[in-house]
Amino acid sequence: MSILYDEGQQAIATESRRVLDARMDKSRLLQLLEQVGAHDQPFWDTAVEQGWTALAIPEEHGGLGLGLVELGLVAQACGAATAGAPFLTGGYGLSQALIQGSDAALAAEWLPKLASGEATGCVALAEGNAALPRVPSVRFADGKLSGTKPAVAGGLAAGLALVWADCAGEPALVVAELAAAGRSAVNSYDNSRLYADLSFDNTPAMVIALGSAARTLALDVLARMAVVTAHEQVGGAEALLHIARDYAVTRKAFGQPIGAFQSIKHRIAEMYGLVEIARANCIHAASLEGSSAFLIAAADARISATEAYDTNSRDCVQIHGGIGVTWELGLHLHMRRARSLAVECGNLLFWEDLLVDELTGEAA
Amino acid sequence: MSDLEAYRAKARTFLESMAPKYAREARSGNTVEQDLALGREYMAAKHDAGFAGINWPVAIGGQGLTHLHKITFDGEEMQFGMPVQFFGISLGMPVPILIHYCEDKEFVKERVRKALRGEEIWCQMFSEPSGGSDLAALRTKVEPDGNGWKMNGQKIWTSWAQYCDYGVIVTRSDPTVEKHKGLTYFWIDMRSKGVEVRPIKLAGGDSHVNEVFFDDVRVEDSQRLGAVGGGFGVSLHTLMIERYIATDSGGFGPHLDEFIKTARATNLNGRPAIEDGRIRSAIARNHAMRAGLDSITRRAFAMMMAGMQPGPEGSLQKLVAVRSRQKLSELAMDMRGAESLAFDEHAYVKTDWGTSWLNAPTGRIAGGSDEVLLNTIAEKILGLPQDYRPDKGVPFNAIPA
Repeated sequence: MSILYDEGQQAIATESRRVLDARMDKSRLLQLLEQVGAHDQPFWDTAVEQGWTALAIPEEHGGLGLGLVELGLVAQACGAATAGAPFLTGGYGLSQALIQGSDAALAAEWLPKLASGEATGCVALAEGNAALPRVPSVRFADGKLSGTKPAVAGGLAAGLALVWADCAGEPALVVAELAAAGRSAVNSYDNSRLYADLSFDNTPAMVIALGSAARTLALDVLARMAVVTAHEQVGGAEALLHIARDYAVTRKAFGQPIGAFQSIKHRIAEMYGLVEIARANCIHAASLEGSSAFLIAAADARISATEAYDTNSRDCVQIHGGIGVTWELGLHLHMRRARSLAVECGNLLFWEDLLVDELTGEAA
Repeated sequence: MSDLEAYRAKARTFLESMAPKYAREARSGNTVEQDLALGREYMAAKHDAGFAGINWPVAIGGQGLTHLHKITFDGEEMQFGMPVQFFGISLGMPVPILIHYCEDKEFVKERVRKALRGEEIWCQMFSEPSGGSDLAALRTKVEPDGNGWKMNGQKIWTSWAQYCDYGVIVTRSDPTVEKHKGLTYFWIDMRSKGVEVRPIKLAGGDSHVNEVFFDDVRVEDSQRLGAVGGGFGVSLHTLMIERYIATDSGGFGPHLDEFIKTARATNLNGRPAIEDGRIRSAIARNHAMRAGLDSITRRAFAMMMAGMQPGPEGSLQKLVAVRSRQKLSELAMDMRGAESLAFDEHAYVKTDWGTSWLNAPTGRIAGGSDEVLLNTIAEKILGLPQDYRPDKGVPFNAIPA
């Protein structure tokens, strides 16, 4: 696949940015931080209306049949606006698992609903600090799930979950309707992500992959979500670069714009470098969707994008001085999102280890 | 197979036929002079085979192909370690400037042919003791002398000047106007009376750069390139010529595979170092960074193929790659501990961590220091203000020293 965006892809990038610029509202996002259990419904309505939920779902299942490149561009626009209900990434992960999994009937049932936004999905692989635990504590037996998945993004409201479970000593990927599961909201520093502990007590579930196939599929789903998230992180990091630049050319101190001081301008130039390296990795990874080189490229994208977003939120606040730490200015929306995205779908430590394992040919 | 891929295959065939005599392995232990002699032979062979002046017009002796053909060839050639280091600057900047500005076309054609064949080498004389990054602070002066000019002063950091036949130089012709307005650009014969070249031994032990002194050197007005007072513009043109040259995300140091190899072969706390979290983190971070730079290069290439101008992010390459090579080299040496203390001054910079570490500072300074590159990114790409410049708008001879 090409690493230059074609006209259709450029249009998706421009249009998603335009729509979000027009509809996002900082004061609404600030309010959401102080509420447990609420997400940005206007954003989600926009995502459904714009067809973003259908973007990467095949046409035969009611989707638009596009791929990671296009979804990545939308995610980038979401990241720039600190927009996003968590279902966009989670729904994508779930739909990819359904597409590649072994239960065609289940896929045929749920993919059209995920595409239309009628259903929302989340992905519950992690436990504790392990993104993909070798032996998950959640168990699957006789078509039933038992155990707890902690702090699942979107878990509080999603209708359907992809769950990583242990099935008599073998790993399994299963799909469960959450209506029958317990959910306990996590009061987080980024509340609109709708983190919830999901507890299963003999909850009915359908297996879609088992054994080593489950692990391979889980890794692919995780890597795909990591690439979407990396685009979102790049969008956020780039927005912070621009915010910092705009402030540095207007704010004056000691008789000149602060951007004329090398301590500030070099910091901003470094922010640019981090954004461009991460962006290049994202474009490359998205273009490798489905190929054998995808996992390494996804890890590269994820690592560089996490570094870019964390660093740029740190440095953008620093460049602003006092005003940067106020509630009202809202740079903390990015700071918070940088951290929540850094932890969701595998932290830096996980991706560093996975990348080195892949590079040295050792089992992940 | 695309045209470029066919060209790449043709280039490889040629390079493989040259490798047994000229590639790095074949030359191990050679002196600089032996390498230079082999380099001249190799350049002549390259010219005979039609791989010289790849993207230069046929009319002046080039092959008339695209810039993409050139970077395709250069990328392949780099992997063989051919002895071309003496000719890179010569053909990269001075000769193209001569082609562009010199009016004596017969003279130009002769010089181009000899430069392409490695028979003549050109140097570029910009930096001075009074200023490297601040190019327009230069003090080497020319004064009218009959129908020509007389040159006095000193240049420094001139690569390969000790082997050069010709050079291009920017000088101060008028100290009474603003610093960048009083400059004039010439080509000179390095064997002219009054030119003296003195090699500088660098920290790494080699002497590829020089001081060049000018004592009443006679320069004809026909050697002037560009207008009197137009030297700064010609200098900028010189620096802009080769913006997308073959890049190396390893910062022209060892490949990351070398680091992994070292980490596998070394024990740390009784376990292979490759299992140590600090080592793993360094590998992962460097891989992600280098992969990003490689993707930027690939995208620039794709854009050029599509007839577009590559993005400004290409300016990150040297800045990011060389400084991370420096730190990675330190870590590789730490990992090997006492074993890293032994030093081989003939080791190759792309396979030896000590050599890579010792020569890395040069890479962070030459061709635009890290600080100047950061300023350029901040000002030209991001629109941040210029630094405080007390020399602005002031005649050169009125700038406080």
